[in-house]
Amino acid sequence: MKLRQHRRTLVPRVARLHGAIQLCLLIVGAGYWLVQIAEGSAYLELAENNRLREISLEAPRGLIRDRHGRPLVENVPRYSLLIDRSRTTDIEASLAFAAEILRSTAEEQGSIEPEPVEQESTEPPSDRSRADIVAELRATLEDARKTPDFKPVLLAESLALRQVARFSVEHLEHPEFEIAVSHLRFYRHGHQTAHLLGHLGEVTDRDLSLYDGTYRAGDTIGRSGVESLYESHLRGSRGEQVVIVDSRGQISDEFRRSPAKPGADLTLTVDLTLQQEAARQLAGKVGAIVVLDPRQGEVLAMVSEPSFNPNRFARRLHPEEWRQVLNHPHHPLQNRALQNSYPPGSVFKVIMALAGLDLGLIDPQRTVSSCRGFSRLFNHTYRCWHAGGHGRVDLRQSLKRSCNVFYHQLGLEIDVDQIAVYSRLFGLGRATGIDLGGEKSGLVPDRFWSLERRGAPWYPGETISVATGQGPLLVTPMQIAVMTAAVANGGRLVVPHLVRGRGPVRVDRKPAQEISSEHLQRVREAMWSVVNEPRGTGVSARVQGLDIAGKTGTAQVIKQETRTDSEDLPPEQRDHAWFASFAPADDPRLVVVVFVEHGGAGSRAAAPLAKPIYEAFLELEASHGGPAA
Amino acid sequence: MKTLATPITRIVPLADEAPSPRRLGNVHWGPAVTALLLSLIGLATVHSASAELDVSYLPRQAVWLGLGILAMAAAFVVDYRRLIDLAPLLYVLGLVSLVLVLAVGEVRGGARSWLGLGSLGGQPSEFAKLTTALLLVRYLSRISKPYLELRQVWNAVLIAAVPMALVALQRDLGGAAMFLPITAGLLLVSGIRWRQLLVLGTLGLVLAAGMWSFGLRDYQRSRVMSFLSPEEDPLGAGYQVRQSKIAVGSGQWAGRGYGQGTQSQLRFLPERHTDFIMAVLAEEWGFLGAVAVLALYSGYFLSAASIAARGRDRTGILLVAGLQSLLAFHTVYNTAMVVGMVPITGIPLPFLSYGGSFMMACFVATGLVLNVDYRRYVNR
Repeated sequence: MKLRQHRRTLVPRVARLHGAIQLCLLIVGAGYWLVQIAEGSAYLELAENNRLREISLEAPRGLIRDRHGRPLVENVPRYSLLIDRSRTTDIEASLAFAAEILRSTAEEQGSIEPEPVEQESTEPPSDRSRADIVAELRATLEDARKTPDFKPVLLAESLALRQVARFSVEHLEHPEFEIAVSHLRFYRHGHQTAHLLGHLGEVTDRDLSLYDGTYRAGDTIGRSGVESLYESHLRGSRGEQVVIVDSRGQISDEFRRSPAKPGADLTLTVDLTLQQEAARQLAGKVGAIVVLDPRQGEVLAMVSEPSFNPNRFARRLHPEEWRQVLNHPHHPLQNRALQNSYPPGSVFKVIMALAGLDLGLIDPQRTVSSCRGFSRLFNHTYRCWHAGGHGRVDLRQSLKRSCNVFYHQLGLEIDVDQIAVYSRLFGLGRATGIDLGGEKSGLVPDRFWSLERRGAPWYPGETISVATGQGPLLVTPMQIAVMTAAVANGGRLVVPHLVRGRGPVRVDRKPAQEISSEHLQRVREAMWSVVNEPRGTGVSARVQGLDIAGKTGTAQVIKQETRTDSEDLPPEQRDHAWFASFAPADDPRLVVVVFVEHGGAGSRAAAPLAKPIYEAFLELEASHGGPAA
Repeated sequence: MKTLATPITRIVPLADEAPSPRRLGNVHWGPAVTALLLSLIGLATVHSASAELDVSYLPRQAVWLGLGILAMAAAFVVDYRRLIDLAPLLYVLGLVSLVLVLAVGEVRGGARSWLGLGSLGGQPSEFAKLTTALLLVRYLSRISKPYLELRQVWNAVLIAAVPMALVALQRDLGGAAMFLPITAGLLLVSGIRWRQLLVLGTLGLVLAAGMWSFGLRDYQRSRVMSFLSPEEDPLGAGYQVRQSKIAVGSGQWAGRGYGQGTQSQLRFLPERHTDFIMAVLAEEWGFLGAVAVLALYSGYFLSAASIAARGRDRTGILLVAGLQSLLAFHTVYNTAMVVGMVPITGIPLPFLSYGGSFMMACFVATGLVLNVDYRRYVNR
């Protein structure tokens, strides 16, 4: 049969084919025996000398300098201890050795860090015995159980230079320990520049997915201020070096290398001297100071208090520290110059005066109102701050002595919708556009807003409140600085900016087109009298040899039924104090806005703080031709 | 006798009435069992080898294993003789897909061998190997003489040469070479004479020499050269061989333990989850592990050979022999390459290497072998 015959011929051939296959497998098996058993130990030695180690080349973050090139931050080296468990035979002995060094220097305090930075653990270092440290290190290793032995495990961070030296000296005895160097951001002026520069934080999982591939777990990222907004400029890009190391940890060959690209530096418009002076003036208070060059909008200083120490954020924060920051009653992370808005109080009278002049409602020579200390309008009493009344008041007097009654009447004549138009002309009600994040736009109320957003009609009485900078009207100190700069520079609305050459340099000339220079000049003169004439509310800011012009403001926080001196009230009910000013009056080069939250009267709580800043400015001009030079 | 209204043919006993020997219990499941064991070892090793990479290849490999098992079932269900009937059509489909790859394929790993179909993608060369095997089996099984005529040998070589040339044009030399063991195995089993073999061998050598001079690219030539003297240029082309041998050798008897292979995990070893998966295994499980895996392959081929020996017809025997020589060549070449016994080419290890198309092809081949065993009985 055909089938049989096929089988007779085919089956032996298949068997021979199969025999050949099995023979080949046997030969291959012999090959493995040769490589793994006969020459195995030689290959094992080669393998020991044949370890790739990836060394991450961290890109140093760009430095930030002030306008004169003075560094505001630096990158200080930070040393971490790693252990390669495959290089030690007695892990307990290794841990004991490490604990000895980690403890000894904790006692002797050889910290090279510019500020004492305590160890990672919750207990203070001096309390820790050697056994405690060993237990801690063992727990760290226990967590890393799943990592292969030859992968270094992080044991301790922020080693002192002395500890690093000890580990290096003992490297031959203890090749299992390795020291890794990274950079720690150090802010030279700590809390004084905190809101300006911002702080760094560790990347979150969200950042990692958002900027795919740019960051790795454990990297830091700018979280606020200049550090955050100019993150991509400052960051640079990480490099990697892959080296072949032998069993003693010595690098025997370089395998691959991609260099790190350092981040670019930034030069700010800020003048460190003015920044520090502003910070000194505000220390211990709650509020903000903004110093601006009114010509182009360069920010010379920006301070918010209470502040925080950004150097603490460069490391992992303790939950306890973090809670302290978050639960602080005055929210130190908030930048009060931008990120909160307040009623402007009498500072707003500057806009009211300009509106009145522009609409022809005020004749500077003839319009006079009689202040008896209050106005009686719509069956309601609106008080002037001066109980006895200012008597007969003209425009100049109304600004100089900050008479409310004058503006109660003016407000009713102008009407709230017109007031809103003039407010927006000077930049209120919208963000200034500064190159910092989280800016508030404030609120300029009008009838439309009242119906749309508040769901209630506008009450005529509210117009009277708004006319004196009260009621729903809200501004940020930065907006007041821009407004003051516009009055000072002849009606040009600048965009404040922090970074030279990169920040937004734009000027809106609309106020100059709308308001005649004659009216601006009249208001500037009145503002000069506020500081320089007797009975002006801003005399405490007066500086010999500098023509300062300004306007104080005192914004009520609560409705007062009876007349109480604000300083007798509990702190959280006291008035907000404002002082908006510029100098020199005839050629303004500096705008200083002081805001003190619940500080009391602007004349007493805000204006005096501006004085030392102007004095510092005078000194700067005398030494090297001013901060703008 | 009115009760005998049914046609006479119905008297023939039906399968349920007289139990047919064709039952699942009578199939030799050896190939399937060893293939599954090897695949599970492969999963664990791929996971270890990709531990240092950003993504684990384990989930994808697991999906392919599942698809492979389905493909094996599919290849088992349809009668293999029906498949042989369809062989010319399948062969043409294979050729078309190879031409498509040349026209629009993606380049991966230096070879234009990848055909993307949206998120699905695959290497048609794996498919073409199987369809070529089927057509060769069909052609050679219709020859009823114990020995082939020279003309028939030429025809068989031609059937294999066309897809082989197309794969070689993709610059996938390892893939092209895999048509040789199929053809050789089938020719040997169906009866080639020494004379003919000599002619073929001479011709092959001449062709190989021609390829060396004109057809090879520099990197391919340097691979062969580095095989001949790997120590001369340790960081160059000999690098892979050297690193692979260091990895395998440092495993010694019992290996370094799962997940502890310093060489394979520290990026010394290129292609460690695909072509060099055996090096990872040998480093982490040592000589004992390597031998265990080789023993599993030996068991696979042993069971496949016994299936061939009890095959019903020439078609079945040839089919098993052809597929067996394909998988055996892959296995032997890859495992030998890892310890530097043969030059390096991109030949993956059946069931262990990471890769979808090849995994499917191996399981389809296993399904066909089982198919032959299931339908070995003459009566139904």
